[in-house]
Amino acid sequence: MILSAATGFLGFGIRAPGVEPLTPVYPSYFGNRIDIPADNPLTVQGVQLGRMLFYETALSAGDRVSCATCHRQELAFTDGKRFSAGVDGTLQPRNTMSLANLLWVRNFFWDGRARGLEQQAETPLTNPHEMGQTLAVSARKLQSKTIYPPLFRAAFGSDTVTGLRIVQALAQFERTLISAGSRYDRYLQGAYQPTGSEAGGIALFYGKGTCGHCHDGPKTYGELFHNNGLDSIPRDPGRETVTGQPYDRGRFRVVTLRNIELTAPYMHDGRFSTLTDTSFITNPKFSNPFKN
Amino acid sequence: MRKYCFIILVCLVIVGGIQAQPAIKVSGEVTKPLQLQTADLAKMKRVTVSMRDRDGNEHPYTGVPVAEILDQAGVTTGKQLRGENLTKYLLVKCADGYEVLFSLAELDSSFTDRTVIIADSSEGKPLPAGKGPFRLVVPGEKKPARSSFQVTELVIRWAKE
Ligand code: HEC
Ligand code: HEC
Repeated sequence: MILSAATGFLGFGIRAPGVEPLTPVYPSYFGNRIDIPADNPLTVQGVQLGRMLFYETALSAGDRVSCATCHRQELAFTDGKRFSAGVDGTLQPRNTMSLANLLWVRNFFWDGRARGLEQQAETPLTNPHEMGQTLAVSARKLQSKTIYPPLFRAAFGSDTVTGLRIVQALAQFERTLISAGSRYDRYLQGAYQPTGSEAGGIALFYGKGTCGHCHDGPKTYGELFHNNGLDSIPRDPGRETVTGQPYDRGRFRVVTLRNIELTAPYMHDGRFSTLTDTSFITNPKFSNPFKN
Repeated sequence: MRKYCFIILVCLVIVGGIQAQPAIKVSGEVTKPLQLQTADLAKMKRVTVSMRDRDGNEHPYTGVPVAEILDQAGVTTGKQLRGENLTKYLLVKCADGYEVLFSLAELDSSFTDRTVIIADSSEGKPLPAGKGPFRLVVPGEKKPARSSFQVTELVIRWAKE
Protein backbone atom coordinates (compact mmCIF):
# COMPACT_ATOMS: atom_id res chain seq x y z
CA MET A 1 0.00 0.00 0.00
CA ILE A 2 2.89 2.27 0.73
CA LEU A 3 4.08 1.63 -2.77
CA SER A 4 0.81 2.42 -4.47
CA ALA A 5 0.70 5.65 -2.48
CA ALA A 6 4.02 6.42 -4.11
CA THR A 7 2.33 6.56 -7.50
CA GLY A 8 1.08 10.01 -6.65
CA PHE A 9 3.43 11.18 -3.97
CA LEU A 10 6.98 10.72 -2.85
CA GLY A 11 6.48 10.53 0.89
CA PHE A 12 5.40 13.93 2.13
CA GLY A 13 6.46 15.73 -1.04
CA ILE A 14 5.06 15.62 -4.53
CA ARG A 15 6.57 12.80 -6.53
CA ALA A 16 8.99 13.97 -9.15
CA PRO A 17 7.92 13.29 -12.72
CA GLY A 18 9.39 10.06 -14.07
CA VAL A 19 10.12 8.47 -10.68
CA GLU A 20 8.87 4.88 -10.81
CA PRO A 21 7.73 3.04 -7.68
CA LEU A 22 9.47 -0.28 -7.07
CA THR A 23 7.78 -3.22 -5.40
CA PRO A 24 10.15 -5.50 -3.53
CA VAL A 25 9.77 -9.11 -4.64
CA TYR A 26 9.97 -11.86 -2.02
CA PRO A 27 8.26 -15.16 -1.20
CA SER A 28 4.98 -14.92 0.72
CA TYR A 29 6.40 -17.18 3.46
CA PHE A 30 8.68 -14.27 4.48
CA GLY A 31 5.60 -12.39 5.66
CA ASN A 32 4.94 -8.70 5.16
CA ARG A 33 6.24 -7.21 8.37
CA ILE A 34 8.60 -5.05 6.35
CA ASP A 35 9.91 -1.63 7.19
CA ILE A 36 9.70 1.09 4.54
CA PRO A 37 9.30 4.58 6.01
CA ALA A 38 6.47 6.65 4.52
CA ASP A 39 8.90 9.44 3.60
CA ASN A 40 11.29 7.13 1.72
CA PRO A 41 9.34 4.76 -0.54
CA LEU A 42 11.29 2.45 -2.85
CA THR A 43 11.73 3.78 -6.35
CA VAL A 44 13.67 2.49 -9.33
CA GLN A 45 15.72 5.70 -9.49
CA GLY A 46 16.34 5.83 -5.74
CA VAL A 47 17.62 2.27 -5.67
CA GLN A 48 19.89 2.91 -8.68
CA LEU A 49 21.38 5.95 -6.99
CA GLY A 50 21.75 4.04 -3.72
CA ARG A 51 23.64 1.26 -5.50
CA MET A 52 26.11 3.79 -6.92
CA LEU A 53 26.55 5.46 -3.54
CA PHE A 54 27.22 2.09 -1.90
CA TYR A 55 30.35 1.80 -4.08
CA GLU A 56 31.26 5.53 -3.94
CA THR A 57 34.61 6.21 -2.22
CA ALA A 58 34.03 9.98 -2.35
CA LEU A 59 31.75 9.41 0.65
CA SER A 60 34.90 8.89 2.73
CA ALA A 61 37.71 11.12 3.93
CA GLY A 62 40.59 10.65 1.47
CA ASP A 63 38.31 8.95 -1.10
CA ARG A 64 39.53 5.41 -0.38
CA VAL A 65 36.71 3.64 1.44
CA SER A 66 33.15 2.87 0.39
CA CYS A 67 30.45 0.77 2.03
CA ALA A 68 31.55 -2.02 -0.31
CA THR A 69 35.10 -1.99 1.10
CA CYS A 70 33.76 -3.81 4.14
CA HIS A 71 30.52 -5.15 2.64
CA ARG A 72 31.63 -7.09 -0.48
CA GLN A 73 28.84 -8.59 -2.52
CA GLU A 74 30.74 -11.80 -3.40
CA LEU A 75 30.99 -12.54 0.35
CA ALA A 76 27.30 -11.82 0.99
CA PHE A 77 28.33 -8.24 1.85
CA THR A 78 31.01 -9.13 4.39
CA ASP A 79 34.78 -9.01 3.89
CA GLY A 80 36.12 -12.24 5.34
CA LYS A 81 38.04 -10.37 8.06
CA ARG A 82 37.62 -10.69 11.78
CA PHE A 83 37.66 -6.88 12.13
CA SER A 84 37.63 -4.45 9.20
CA ALA A 85 39.73 -1.28 8.96
CA GLY A 86 38.26 2.12 8.10
CA VAL A 87 39.84 5.31 6.68
CA ASP A 88 42.27 5.77 9.57
CA GLY A 89 43.34 2.13 9.68
CA THR A 90 41.67 1.52 13.05
CA LEU A 91 39.95 -1.85 13.32
CA GLN A 92 36.21 -1.94 14.04
CA PRO A 93 35.27 -3.23 17.49
CA ARG A 94 32.90 -5.82 16.01
CA ASN A 95 32.71 -8.14 13.02
CA THR A 96 31.21 -6.74 9.81
CA MET A 97 27.63 -7.89 9.41
CA SER A 98 26.25 -9.50 6.30
CA LEU A 99 23.53 -7.52 4.51
CA ALA A 100 20.57 -9.71 3.57
CA ASN A 101 16.83 -9.34 4.08
CA LEU A 102 17.28 -6.04 5.93
CA LEU A 103 13.74 -5.14 4.88
CA TRP A 104 12.58 -7.26 7.85
CA VAL A 105 15.02 -5.80 10.40
CA ARG A 106 13.94 -2.96 12.68
CA ASN A 107 16.93 -2.50 14.98
CA PHE A 108 20.32 -2.52 13.28
CA PHE A 109 23.84 -3.51 14.40
CA TRP A 110 24.86 -6.34 16.72
CA ASP A 111 23.36 -4.41 19.64
CA GLY A 112 20.30 -3.08 17.78
CA ARG A 113 21.20 0.55 18.46
CA ALA A 114 20.10 2.03 15.11
CA ARG A 115 16.41 2.30 14.37
CA GLY A 116 15.95 2.00 10.62
CA LEU A 117 18.40 1.86 7.72
CA GLU A 118 18.46 5.63 7.17
CA GLN A 119 19.70 6.16 10.72
CA GLN A 120 22.06 3.19 10.44
CA ALA A 121 23.82 4.57 7.33
CA GLU A 122 24.82 7.74 9.14
CA THR A 123 27.08 5.78 11.50
CA PRO A 124 29.62 4.32 9.03
CA LEU A 125 29.55 7.49 6.93
CA THR A 126 30.51 9.81 9.78
CA ASN A 127 32.42 7.55 12.22
CA PRO A 128 36.09 8.65 12.12
CA HIS A 129 37.19 4.99 12.12
CA GLU A 130 34.95 4.01 9.21
CA MET A 131 34.38 6.55 6.41
CA GLY A 132 35.16 9.58 8.56
CA GLN A 133 33.37 12.39 6.76
CA THR A 134 30.42 14.58 7.76
CA LEU A 135 27.25 14.31 5.71
CA ALA A 136 27.64 17.98 4.74
CA VAL A 137 31.09 17.36 3.24
CA SER A 138 29.85 14.23 1.46
CA ALA A 139 26.94 16.20 0.00
CA ARG A 140 29.27 18.96 -1.18
CA LYS A 141 31.66 16.49 -2.82
CA LEU A 142 28.88 14.71 -4.71
CA GLN A 143 27.32 18.03 -5.73
CA SER A 144 30.55 18.99 -7.47
CA LYS A 145 30.70 15.80 -9.55
CA THR A 146 28.93 16.02 -12.89
CA ILE A 147 27.24 12.62 -12.67
CA TYR A 148 25.43 13.00 -9.36
CA PRO A 149 23.12 16.05 -9.57
CA PRO A 150 21.06 14.51 -12.43
CA LEU A 151 20.83 11.21 -10.51
CA PHE A 152 19.54 13.02 -7.42
CA ARG A 153 17.07 14.86 -9.63
CA ALA A 154 15.87 11.56 -11.08
CA ALA A 155 15.46 10.02 -7.62
CA PHE A 156 14.28 12.94 -5.51
CA GLY A 157 13.08 15.55 -8.02
CA SER A 158 15.87 18.01 -7.21
CA ASP A 159 19.52 18.46 -8.18
CA THR A 160 20.41 19.32 -4.62
CA VAL A 161 22.49 16.68 -2.86
CA THR A 162 21.77 16.51 0.87
CA GLY A 163 22.93 14.23 3.66
CA LEU A 164 19.36 13.03 4.13
CA ARG A 165 19.00 12.09 0.46
CA ILE A 166 22.32 10.22 0.57
CA VAL A 167 21.20 8.03 3.48
CA GLN A 168 17.71 7.63 1.97
CA ALA A 169 19.11 6.36 -1.33
CA LEU A 170 21.52 4.00 0.45
CA ALA A 171 18.63 2.66 2.54
CA GLN A 172 16.51 2.12 -0.57
CA PHE A 173 19.28 0.09 -2.20
CA GLU A 174 19.82 -2.00 0.93
CA ARG A 175 16.10 -2.80 1.12
CA THR A 176 16.43 -4.60 -2.23
CA LEU A 177 19.13 -6.99 -0.95
CA ILE A 178 16.75 -9.91 -0.64
CA SER A 179 18.03 -13.43 -0.24
CA ALA A 180 15.39 -15.95 -1.31
CA GLY A 181 17.03 -18.22 -3.86
CA SER A 182 18.57 -20.99 -1.75
CA ARG A 183 17.97 -24.72 -2.21
CA TYR A 184 15.90 -24.43 0.95
CA ASP A 185 13.66 -21.86 -0.78
CA ARG A 186 13.26 -24.15 -3.77
CA TYR A 187 12.34 -26.94 -1.36
CA LEU A 188 9.71 -24.69 0.28
CA GLN A 189 8.37 -23.88 -3.16
CA GLY A 190 8.11 -27.59 -3.96
CA ALA A 191 10.84 -27.47 -6.62
CA TYR A 192 13.64 -29.32 -4.85
CA GLN A 193 13.93 -32.61 -2.99
CA PRO A 194 16.42 -32.27 -0.10
CA THR A 195 19.04 -34.98 0.35
CA GLY A 196 18.79 -37.19 3.41
CA SER A 197 21.27 -35.14 5.41
CA GLU A 198 19.69 -31.84 4.34
CA ALA A 199 16.28 -33.10 5.46
CA GLY A 200 17.84 -34.21 8.75
CA GLY A 201 19.37 -30.76 9.18
CA ILE A 202 16.05 -29.02 8.54
CA ALA A 203 14.31 -31.25 11.08
CA LEU A 204 17.01 -30.67 13.68
CA PHE A 205 17.20 -26.92 13.05
CA TYR A 206 13.48 -26.28 13.36
CA GLY A 207 12.86 -29.12 15.81
CA LYS A 208 14.96 -30.58 18.60
CA GLY A 209 17.93 -28.28 17.94
CA THR A 210 15.63 -25.29 18.70
CA CYS A 211 17.71 -23.06 16.41
CA GLY A 212 14.44 -21.95 14.82
CA HIS A 213 13.29 -20.36 18.08
CA CYS A 214 15.73 -17.52 17.44
CA HIS A 215 16.72 -18.04 13.80
CA ASP A 216 13.02 -18.06 13.12
CA GLY A 217 11.14 -19.39 10.08
CA PRO A 218 12.41 -19.47 6.50
CA LYS A 219 14.24 -16.15 6.96
CA THR A 220 16.21 -17.84 9.80
CA TYR A 221 15.75 -14.51 11.51
CA GLY A 222 13.90 -13.24 14.54
CA GLU A 223 14.36 -9.76 15.95
CA LEU A 224 15.63 -11.01 19.31
CA PHE A 225 18.60 -10.25 21.55
CA HIS A 226 20.29 -13.12 23.34
CA ASN A 227 23.39 -13.96 25.24
CA ASN A 228 24.21 -17.37 23.89
CA GLY A 229 26.81 -18.06 26.52
CA LEU A 230 29.96 -17.51 24.45
CA ASP A 231 31.68 -16.03 27.52
CA SER A 232 30.85 -16.38 31.20
CA ILE A 233 31.98 -12.75 31.60
CA PRO A 234 31.21 -10.97 28.32
CA ARG A 235 34.01 -8.62 27.18
CA ASP A 236 31.59 -6.69 25.01
CA PRO A 237 28.50 -5.57 26.96
CA GLY A 238 26.41 -5.71 23.75
CA ARG A 239 22.78 -4.72 24.22
CA GLU A 240 23.48 -3.37 27.72
CA THR A 241 25.17 -0.30 26.19
CA VAL A 242 21.87 0.57 24.51
CA THR A 243 19.43 -0.10 27.35
CA GLY A 244 21.56 0.45 30.45
CA GLN A 245 20.08 -2.72 31.96
CA PRO A 246 22.50 -5.25 33.47
CA TYR A 247 20.24 -8.08 32.32
CA ASP A 248 21.06 -7.11 28.74
CA ARG A 249 24.80 -7.63 29.28
CA GLY A 250 26.34 -9.84 26.60
CA ARG A 251 23.12 -9.97 24.60
CA PHE A 252 23.48 -9.57 20.86
CA ARG A 253 20.96 -9.47 18.08
CA VAL A 254 20.09 -12.70 16.34
CA VAL A 255 21.38 -12.59 12.78
CA THR A 256 20.15 -14.31 9.67
CA LEU A 257 21.93 -17.53 8.71
CA ARG A 258 21.29 -16.98 5.00
CA ASN A 259 24.50 -17.11 2.92
CA ILE A 260 26.21 -18.30 6.08
CA GLU A 261 28.92 -20.27 4.26
CA LEU A 262 30.14 -16.98 2.72
CA THR A 263 30.21 -14.84 5.86
CA ALA A 264 33.04 -16.30 7.99
CA PRO A 265 34.33 -15.48 10.52
CA TYR A 266 31.30 -15.79 12.78
CA MET A 267 29.66 -14.09 15.79
CA HIS A 268 29.83 -10.42 16.85
CA ASP A 269 33.57 -10.71 17.44
CA GLY A 270 34.37 -13.07 14.59
CA ARG A 271 35.75 -15.60 17.05
CA PHE A 272 34.91 -18.66 14.97
CA SER A 273 36.57 -19.04 11.61
CA THR A 274 34.56 -22.00 10.37
CA LEU A 275 30.98 -23.17 10.69
CA THR A 276 32.08 -26.37 12.39
CA ASP A 277 33.54 -24.18 15.16
CA THR A 278 30.09 -22.79 15.74
CA SER A 279 28.79 -26.30 16.35
CA PHE A 280 29.69 -25.48 19.96
CA ILE A 281 26.05 -24.45 19.78
CA THR A 282 25.10 -28.07 20.20
CA ASN A 283 27.31 -28.42 23.24
CA PRO A 284 25.96 -28.07 26.77
CA LYS A 285 27.78 -24.79 27.51
CA PHE A 286 25.63 -23.03 24.93
CA SER A 287 22.99 -21.23 26.95
CA ASN A 288 19.76 -21.77 25.15
CA PRO A 289 16.60 -20.86 27.01
CA PHE A 290 14.55 -23.16 24.78
CA LYS A 291 16.44 -26.31 25.62
CA ASN A 292 15.33 -28.14 28.73
CA MET B 1 41.14 16.90 43.81
CA ARG B 2 39.41 14.67 46.27
CA LYS B 3 36.34 16.91 46.02
CA TYR B 4 36.25 16.42 42.24
CA CYS B 5 36.59 12.70 42.59
CA PHE B 6 33.65 12.78 44.94
CA ILE B 7 31.54 14.85 42.57
CA ILE B 8 32.38 12.53 39.68
CA LEU B 9 31.54 9.55 41.84
CA VAL B 10 28.20 11.05 42.82
CA CYS B 11 27.45 11.80 39.17
CA LEU B 12 28.33 8.24 38.20
CA VAL B 13 26.05 6.89 40.89
CA ILE B 14 23.22 9.17 39.76
CA VAL B 15 23.66 8.33 36.08
CA GLY B 16 24.14 4.67 36.89
CA GLY B 17 21.10 4.79 39.16
CA ILE B 18 18.86 6.25 36.48
CA GLN B 19 20.08 3.81 33.87
CA ALA B 20 19.86 0.80 36.09
CA GLN B 21 16.31 1.47 37.30
CA PRO B 22 14.16 -0.87 35.20
CA ALA B 23 10.72 0.41 34.26
CA ILE B 24 7.72 -0.43 32.11
CA LYS B 25 6.81 2.19 29.56
CA VAL B 26 3.11 2.51 28.66
CA SER B 27 2.48 4.35 25.39
CA GLY B 28 0.41 4.55 22.22
CA GLU B 29 -3.36 5.09 22.40
CA VAL B 30 -3.22 6.41 25.97
CA THR B 31 -4.22 9.75 27.43
CA LYS B 32 -1.47 9.56 30.03
CA PRO B 33 1.80 7.86 29.08
CA LEU B 34 3.36 6.07 32.05
CA GLN B 35 6.80 4.95 33.15
CA LEU B 36 6.32 2.48 36.01
CA GLN B 37 9.09 1.33 38.31
CA THR B 38 8.90 -1.29 41.05
CA ALA B 39 8.07 1.41 43.61
CA ASP B 40 5.14 2.62 41.48
CA LEU B 41 3.74 -0.88 41.10
CA ALA B 42 4.00 -1.33 44.88
CA LYS B 43 1.57 1.58 45.35
CA MET B 44 -1.07 0.23 42.96
CA LYS B 45 -3.83 -2.34 43.45
CA ARG B 46 -2.06 -5.67 43.93
CA VAL B 47 -3.32 -9.19 43.40
CA THR B 48 -1.94 -12.71 43.45
CA VAL B 49 -2.81 -15.12 40.65
CA SER B 50 -1.74 -18.64 39.93
CA MET B 51 -0.48 -20.02 36.65
CA ARG B 52 0.96 -23.29 35.41
CA ASP B 53 4.57 -22.83 34.33
CA ARG B 54 6.68 -24.81 31.87
CA ASP B 55 7.50 -27.21 34.73
CA GLY B 56 3.83 -28.26 34.77
CA ASN B 57 3.17 -26.92 38.29
CA GLU B 58 0.99 -24.06 39.46
CA HIS B 59 2.92 -21.10 40.93
CA PRO B 60 1.60 -17.96 42.63
CA TYR B 61 2.56 -14.59 41.16
CA THR B 62 1.93 -11.19 42.71
CA GLY B 63 1.66 -7.87 40.94
CA VAL B 64 -0.70 -5.37 39.34
CA PRO B 65 -3.54 -6.26 36.95
CA VAL B 66 -2.77 -5.08 33.43
CA ALA B 67 -6.32 -3.67 33.33
CA GLU B 68 -5.41 -1.44 36.29
CA ILE B 69 -2.32 -0.12 34.50
CA LEU B 70 -4.32 0.53 31.32
CA ASP B 71 -6.94 2.36 33.40
CA GLN B 72 -4.30 4.64 34.91
CA ALA B 73 -2.91 5.35 31.47
CA GLY B 74 -6.36 6.37 30.27
CA VAL B 75 -6.88 3.50 27.85
CA THR B 76 -10.47 2.80 26.80
CA THR B 77 -11.43 0.09 29.30
CA GLY B 78 -14.70 -1.02 30.94
CA LYS B 79 -17.71 0.94 29.67
CA GLN B 80 -15.57 2.65 27.04
CA LEU B 81 -14.51 -0.67 25.58
CA ARG B 82 -17.10 -0.90 22.83
CA GLY B 83 -17.62 0.07 19.21
CA GLU B 84 -14.40 0.84 17.36
CA ASN B 85 -12.42 0.61 20.61
CA LEU B 86 -12.84 -3.14 20.29
CA THR B 87 -10.33 -3.03 17.45
CA LYS B 88 -7.55 -1.87 19.76
CA TYR B 89 -4.77 -4.17 20.89
CA LEU B 90 -2.01 -4.31 23.46
CA LEU B 91 1.49 -5.21 22.28
CA VAL B 92 3.73 -6.40 25.11
CA LYS B 93 7.45 -5.90 24.44
CA CYS B 94 10.24 -7.63 26.30
CA ALA B 95 13.93 -6.87 26.82
CA ASP B 96 15.07 -9.64 24.46
CA GLY B 97 12.85 -8.38 21.65
CA TYR B 98 10.09 -10.95 22.27
CA GLU B 99 6.61 -9.56 21.62
CA VAL B 100 3.10 -10.85 22.30
CA LEU B 101 -0.29 -9.39 21.57
CA PHE B 102 -3.74 -9.19 23.23
CA SER B 103 -6.96 -7.59 22.11
CA LEU B 104 -8.11 -5.17 24.81
CA ALA B 105 -11.23 -7.23 25.43
CA GLU B 106 -9.08 -10.20 26.47
CA LEU B 107 -7.85 -8.15 29.44
CA ASP B 108 -11.03 -6.40 30.51
CA SER B 109 -13.08 -7.47 33.54
CA SER B 110 -16.31 -6.63 31.71
CA PHE B 111 -15.42 -9.38 29.21
CA THR B 112 -13.50 -11.96 31.20
CA ASP B 113 -12.94 -13.22 34.74
CA ARG B 114 -9.32 -13.98 34.04
CA THR B 115 -6.87 -11.49 35.54
CA VAL B 116 -3.69 -10.94 33.57
CA ILE B 117 -1.05 -9.23 35.68
CA ILE B 118 2.37 -7.65 35.54
CA ALA B 119 4.06 -9.65 38.29
CA ASP B 120 7.09 -8.42 40.20
CA SER B 121 7.22 -11.11 42.88
CA SER B 122 6.40 -14.70 43.65
CA GLU B 123 5.99 -16.10 47.15
CA GLY B 124 7.28 -12.86 48.66
CA LYS B 125 10.47 -12.81 46.61
CA PRO B 126 11.40 -10.71 43.57
CA LEU B 127 11.37 -12.68 40.32
CA PRO B 128 14.63 -14.46 39.43
CA ALA B 129 17.17 -12.93 37.04
CA GLY B 130 16.22 -13.83 33.50
CA LYS B 131 12.48 -13.62 34.26
CA GLY B 132 12.19 -10.38 36.21
CA PRO B 133 11.98 -7.75 37.29
CA PHE B 134 8.60 -7.72 35.50
CA ARG B 135 6.83 -10.72 34.06
CA LEU B 136 3.51 -10.87 32.31
CA VAL B 137 1.44 -13.63 33.91
CA VAL B 138 -1.49 -14.98 31.91
CA PRO B 139 -3.39 -17.58 33.95
CA GLY B 140 -5.33 -20.36 32.31
CA GLU B 141 -3.51 -20.76 29.00
CA LYS B 142 -2.43 -24.18 27.77
CA LYS B 143 1.01 -22.85 26.77
CA PRO B 144 2.89 -20.25 28.85
CA ALA B 145 4.15 -18.60 25.65
CA ARG B 146 2.37 -15.29 26.30
CA SER B 147 3.52 -15.16 29.92
CA SER B 148 6.61 -13.34 28.77
CA PHE B 149 9.71 -12.42 30.78
CA GLN B 150 11.40 -9.06 31.36
CA VAL B 151 8.54 -6.91 30.11
CA THR B 152 9.73 -3.41 29.16
CA GLU B 153 6.84 -1.85 27.26
CA LEU B 154 3.06 -1.94 26.87
CA VAL B 155 1.96 -0.34 23.62
CA ILE B 156 -1.72 0.26 22.76
CA ARG B 157 -2.60 0.60 19.09
CA TRP B 158 -5.48 0.47 16.66
CA ALA B 159 -5.63 -2.53 14.38
CA LYS B 160 -5.60 -0.81 11.00
CA GLU B 161 -6.77 -2.61 7.91
C1 HEC C 1 35.12 -0.05 7.95
C2 HEC C 1 34.20 -1.12 7.61
C3 HEC C 1 32.76 -0.73 7.29
C4 HEC C 1 32.31 0.20 6.40
C5 HEC C 1 33.13 1.14 5.52
C6 HEC C 1 30.88 0.12 6.42
N1 HEC C 1 30.46 -0.84 7.29
FE1 HEC C 1 28.57 -1.44 7.64
N2 HEC C 1 29.17 -2.56 9.20
C7 HEC C 1 30.48 -2.70 9.60
C8 HEC C 1 30.54 -3.31 10.92
C9 HEC C 1 31.80 -3.62 11.72
C10 HEC C 1 29.19 -3.53 11.31
C11 HEC C 1 28.71 -4.05 12.67
C12 HEC C 1 28.93 -2.90 13.66
C13 HEC C 1 28.26 -3.04 15.01
O1 HEC C 1 27.38 -3.88 15.19
O2 HEC C 1 28.60 -2.27 15.91
C14 HEC C 1 28.37 -3.05 10.19
C15 HEC C 1 26.98 -3.14 10.16
C16 HEC C 1 26.21 -2.66 9.11
C17 HEC C 1 24.77 -2.82 9.02
C18 HEC C 1 23.87 -3.51 10.03
C19 HEC C 1 23.29 -4.80 9.51
C20 HEC C 1 22.34 -5.46 10.49
O3 HEC C 1 21.88 -6.57 10.22
O4 HEC C 1 22.04 -4.86 11.54
C21 HEC C 1 24.38 -2.19 7.86
C22 HEC C 1 22.96 -2.09 7.32
C23 HEC C 1 25.56 -1.63 7.26
N3 HEC C 1 26.66 -1.94 8.04
C24 HEC C 1 25.55 -0.85 6.11
C25 HEC C 1 26.65 -0.08 5.71
C26 HEC C 1 26.57 1.01 4.75
C27 HEC C 1 25.32 1.47 4.03
C28 HEC C 1 27.83 1.52 4.64
C29 HEC C 1 28.29 2.70 3.80
C30 HEC C 1 27.62 3.95 4.07
C31 HEC C 1 28.68 0.74 5.53
N4 HEC C 1 27.93 -0.20 6.16
C32 HEC C 1 30.06 0.92 5.65
C33 HEC C 1 31.60 -2.33 8.87
C34 HEC C 1 31.59 -1.36 7.88
C1 HEC D 1 18.56 -18.28 22.13
C2 HEC D 1 18.60 -17.81 20.77
C3 HEC D 1 19.42 -18.61 19.77
C4 HEC D 1 19.31 -19.94 19.47
C5 HEC D 1 18.34 -20.94 20.06
C6 HEC D 1 20.30 -20.19 18.44
N1 HEC D 1 20.99 -19.05 18.13
FE1 HEC D 1 22.41 -18.86 16.72
N2 HEC D 1 22.73 -16.94 17.31
C7 HEC D 1 22.02 -16.28 18.28
C8 HEC D 1 22.62 -14.99 18.53
C9 HEC D 1 22.13 -13.95 19.53
C10 HEC D 1 23.73 -14.89 17.66
C11 HEC D 1 24.76 -13.76 17.62
C12 HEC D 1 25.64 -14.03 18.83
C13 HEC D 1 26.91 -13.23 18.94
O1 HEC D 1 27.44 -12.78 17.95
O2 HEC D 1 27.39 -13.08 20.07
C14 HEC D 1 23.77 -16.15 16.92
C15 HEC D 1 24.73 -16.45 15.95
C16 HEC D 1 24.77 -17.62 15.24
C17 HEC D 1 25.73 -17.91 14.18
C18 HEC D 1 26.80 -16.94 13.67
C19 HEC D 1 26.19 -16.04 12.63
C20 HEC D 1 27.13 -15.01 12.06
O3 HEC D 1 26.82 -14.46 10.99
O4 HEC D 1 28.16 -14.72 12.66
C21 HEC D 1 25.47 -19.16 13.73
C22 HEC D 1 26.18 -19.88 12.61
C23 HEC D 1 24.35 -19.66 14.51
N3 HEC D 1 23.95 -18.70 15.40
C24 HEC D 1 23.78 -20.92 14.34
C25 HEC D 1 22.83 -21.45 15.21
C26 HEC D 1 22.40 -22.84 15.16
C27 HEC D 1 22.88 -23.87 14.16
C28 HEC D 1 21.52 -23.00 16.18
C29 HEC D 1 20.82 -24.28 16.65
C30 HEC D 1 21.73 -25.36 17.01
C31 HEC D 1 21.37 -21.69 16.84
N4 HEC D 1 22.19 -20.80 16.22
C32 HEC D 1 20.51 -21.45 17.88
C33 HEC D 1 20.91 -16.75 18.95
C34 HEC D 1 20.49 -18.07 18.94
